Amino acid sequence: MKSTQPIKDATGRTGGGAAATLFSPAAIAFIVVAIVVLPVIQRPVVAAEILVLGIAAVAMNLLIGYTGMLSFGQAMFFGISAYITGILVTKAGVSAFVAIPVAVVATGVVAALVGAFCVRRSGLYFICITFAFNQMFYFIAYSWTGMTGGEDGLPGIARPAIIADPISFYVFTAAVFVAALVVLKKIVDSPTGRILQAIRDNPNRAAATGHDVGRYKLVAFTISGTFIGLAGAVFAFIYEIMPVDKIHWLFSGDLVFMTLIGGTGSFIGPVIGAAFYTFLQETVSLFWDRWPMVLGTVFALVVLFFRTGVIGIVEAGYERFWREREKSANP
Amino acid sequence: MEILIASQVLNGFATGMLYALVGVGLTLVLGVLNIPNFAHGTLYAFGAYFTYTAANLTGSFYLGILIGPLLVVLVGFVIESQGVRRLYRAHHDYQLLFLFAIALILQEAVILIWGPVGFSLLPPPILGGAVDLGFVVYPKYRLALILFTTLIVVALYLFLTRTNVGAIVRAGIENREMVSVLGVDINKVFLLTFGLGAYLAGLAGGLSTPIMGLTPSMGLDILPIAFVIVVVAGLGSILGAIASGILIGLAQSLTTIWWPEAANVVIYLLMGLVIILRPQGLFGTR
Repeated sequence: MKSTQPIKDATGRTGGGAAATLFSPAAIAFIVVAIVVLPVIQRPVVAAEILVLGIAAVAMNLLIGYTGMLSFGQAMFFGISAYITGILVTKAGVSAFVAIPVAVVATGVVAALVGAFCVRRSGLYFICITFAFNQMFYFIAYSWTGMTGGEDGLPGIARPAIIADPISFYVFTAAVFVAALVVLKKIVDSPTGRILQAIRDNPNRAAATGHDVGRYKLVAFTISGTFIGLAGAVFAFIYEIMPVDKIHWLFSGDLVFMTLIGGTGSFIGPVIGAAFYTFLQETVSLFWDRWPMVLGTVFALVVLFFRTGVIGIVEAGYERFWREREKSANP
Repeated sequence: MEILIASQVLNGFATGMLYALVGVGLTLVLGVLNIPNFAHGTLYAFGAYFTYTAANLTGSFYLGILIGPLLVVLVGFVIESQGVRRLYRAHHDYQLLFLFAIALILQEAVILIWGPVGFSLLPPPILGGAVDLGFVVYPKYRLALILFTTLIVVALYLFLTRTNVGAIVRAGIENREMVSVLGVDINKVFLLTFGLGAYLAGLAGGLSTPIMGLTPSMGLDILPIAFVIVVVAGLGSILGAIASGILIGLAQSLTTIWWPEAANVVIYLLMGLVIILRPQGLFGTR
């Protein structure tokens, strides 16, 4: 989880520089290819789910990879936002295009409040507290059956007519995806993003150079929670239901693992993790009810042997390739 | 009403002592190995299910309670020696994530082995039925549970404070590096502590079965409670874990009298209060 090197994006840049482009050509290519190819190799709803979880995973990585804060509770923001969106749409008849921003803002506020409790403690304590908060919200969602549908989830979250069919909904999701990535990338490239990485590498030194570590951590936590909330708000419309297990701490763990599988050392890597997770879920659950066991086994293997994630493996392979070329060119 | 309150207080103690066992197990692993054991809940569940199977096979609840938790210790040993140990060189976040993965696997394993439907386990015949305590008529098993878990806690306390091994474990909680510098094989300490934590979780699980039955989700349900206990107690405090376990048990059972739906949420409110008013935990020193 801790890397002592600044996170490189696909250009090998470490952020900053006013004249630099936001995304490297490689990253842009990846995003475009992903958006175009996904609905072809999967059903459009599943492709949309991958993009949505991709947003959540990248936002999660803001916390884990960039700031070094391992939170096991981010599902609460996914859930809170999704439930608010769902309740506004189903019970208050609000339009989705209003409900989503409202839910996201509300979730951001909750994230700031919860963060105020949590960020002052670090490491183990932080994990325990975020975990416990997550469960608190889970139980509220579970018990408040009148509003949330409790155990059965909140159904009937209808998509607005313009984006009702799978393809146009997918286009909508892709647009949100790109917008979210742009904003998040701007944040990590900004001085704030650099300070977050400094905090990850050495909180004491960051504090010694005059930065209010607590405040920056709160900022990271809130931004992460807000964007995970954005993912949740859109998610509500994918299957037009909000299931209660998406606010459970197990899903928080899933978010962590999406980030890990993709690669915490990269900005866009977690999207791969989200794709992998969704793909695994979709295919294995078809023929085995106990598919979480496969998920757990994959997680265990990744933690034991593939900690740098897919991006890490790709980067390592790339480096070895160039080294071999160098060697053969200069014997 | 007084009878209701009285029996709920006793109920709170009974579940509270079970929570205390689980909480102490988690605290030990947290203190010595520095990892929040995400698999702790599933070890509790395995304790219950192993006890159930052993009791059914042998026809004796006592044998079940004897064998079940020991099997959980075996599972714990395997997890620690084959998995967690490989990750000591890596950042300790990875040990945590490994345990989360194990929790997923074990959780599904419960359903795979014992099926998705819950079971019930009857207490041994002498402990069935109720006894008249004067102010309330109360189930014998729960009383026995309170007494037995108190004995276990006392035994644990004696182990930790009066034996050499116990002293090493306590030293490990305080300062891991120093323990290995002083020549103790820290790997053995880790293995032992993890096993002890697993034993406590498994024992609590087994003991809980006549009261709460067995369901596949029991492991997932108990883990957040264990975390709340640890947060309320303060990291590293074993007595604190016992006290907060009881506190939380009481909070739950008393809340059930007036506002049943809130019984689950009240423990988080309690945790919130502790975080605001005394962030290092009620008994925490760090």
